[in-house]
Amino acid sequence: MHRISIIVIKEWRESLRNKMILFGAIFLPLFMVGFAAYMVYQGRGLDDLPTQVVLFNTALMYFLLLPAIIPLAIAVYSIVGEKEQSSLEPLLATPISDLELFLGKALASVIPALVLNWASFGIFLAAASALLGGLPPHVLTPPWLAAIFGLSPLLALFSVGVTMLVSSRASDARAAYQFSSFAILPGIIPLIIYSSRKTLVSLFLVGVEGLVLVAASIIVLYFAIRVFSREQILTRWK
Amino acid sequence: MITTDGLTRHFGSLVAVEDLHLEVEKGEIFGFLGPNGAGKTTTVRMLATLIAPSGGTATVAGFHLGSQNRTIRQHVGVLTETPGLYKRLSARDNLLFFAKLHGMKDSVSQVEHYLRLFELWERRDDPAGSYSKGMRQKLALARALLHEPDILFLDEPTAALDPEAAKVVRELIETLRTKERTIFLCTHNLDEADRLCDRVALFKTRLVAVGKPQELKERMYGRCTVVHLADPGPGLEQALDFPFIKRIERVDNKLVIALSNPERENPLVVRRLVELGAQVQFVNELRYSLEDLYLDLMEGSGASN
Repeated sequence: MHRISIIVIKEWRESLRNKMILFGAIFLPLFMVGFAAYMVYQGRGLDDLPTQVVLFNTALMYFLLLPAIIPLAIAVYSIVGEKEQSSLEPLLATPISDLELFLGKALASVIPALVLNWASFGIFLAAASALLGGLPPHVLTPPWLAAIFGLSPLLALFSVGVTMLVSSRASDARAAYQFSSFAILPGIIPLIIYSSRKTLVSLFLVGVEGLVLVAASIIVLYFAIRVFSREQILTRWK
Repeated sequence: MITTDGLTRHFGSLVAVEDLHLEVEKGEIFGFLGPNGAGKTTTVRMLATLIAPSGGTATVAGFHLGSQNRTIRQHVGVLTETPGLYKRLSARDNLLFFAKLHGMKDSVSQVEHYLRLFELWERRDDPAGSYSKGMRQKLALARALLHEPDILFLDEPTAALDPEAAKVVRELIETLRTKERTIFLCTHNLDEADRLCDRVALFKTRLVAVGKPQELKERMYGRCTVVHLADPGPGLEQALDFPFIKRIERVDNKLVIALSNPERENPLVVRRLVELGAQVQFVNELRYSLEDLYLDLMEGSGASN
């Protein structure tokens, strides 16, 4: 655990000195909060409560996208950056294990994604409450809270797993970004379901997506960990 | 300190290292010489437990490769050809990160010690990316030494440096020589190896030769005396009919004579030449360079690349 935390702190130090990552990590959540707040602001003064709820719930969708998008930049740089700097070999020559290195890098991406997402969600609620003079009833339902607090870690984990897999084969950050971006798909699924109006977001649906994400994350992380062996890193990574 | 027994590494059908038998003693600077693609880096990676061998066994710092890899990594330091520093982090943060990974309790003071030793202390807070190539290599060397390893693997430490920076790094390596520390130096800079190494191994997928540079040269070429003559007349080679002369060759106004014990045999040769009327100007020993030895051995090694 000690070595994992050393890796996490190093990754954060590097990220804080990388303007691209810093800009993405701060700007993107702020943009989402602003956009979501603007959306619910459109419903102010409407007597039609269902419309307000629809607008509010659509806005909440952004907080299922953020945990998948934020870790992309950190995780891509975490791998591609090491490749570009040729720093993996000296790192692997220390007593760190392959799993510790993998977990360190994964957590360094997942933790900020969750903190930023939940902080953004809090800011959004505060902004919406201020703009609307209080939150409309029936918007923060248990399914939504379960989605935002239960699915976010799984979405972030899945996203990081995909990104690490892709980055291990990519030789530059741009290519890694492009191929990793499909990791946000699971975050879009609730949006598609909700937009189709076929059914309301329910605890059942959140539970099903949670199970699908757990299974997908296990598969992706299994392969990511296999790719993350020192043998593979030094002989196969491009 | 390092013992390998039939160490082998394949990459698919490609044989990178084949049947390597090697013994490296404690406290020596051991040169591992070979052309690009000879398998030097693969050997270092196996010995530093970065990749697994396909066959054979080895002990490094007294620990078994394979079953005690983590312990081996605590006892070795590796300097790769490219420094591999975190360019956005300061020199101090780079070293502190590695000191902590090695579990060092006195990491702050140890980092300060090496930054001062390598004259990087004044720029300790500058990002490593702003350093010159020579400074980066010094910082990478400091990183490899931080945990005071018993064995230091240096893989082409001066390959990417200009002559001035290479000299600085070479001098640093010289200062690292202690009774307790073994230095395994991979290089194709033969002059560097000749100057620094106690023993060298010539390697091209397989071990071609191993020994002290001077011994290897003597084994290959014997010892030759060069006699410079003012006006060499004909028939001198034939007149020098000592049984201890292995071969004799005339090059311009010089006689190159292969001897087995020049200290004892030179006076006899010179006396005979004077008796024959030759005017001896100078007598010196013909010195072969490690480069001569390397090129001749590699050419005749027949080892596949």
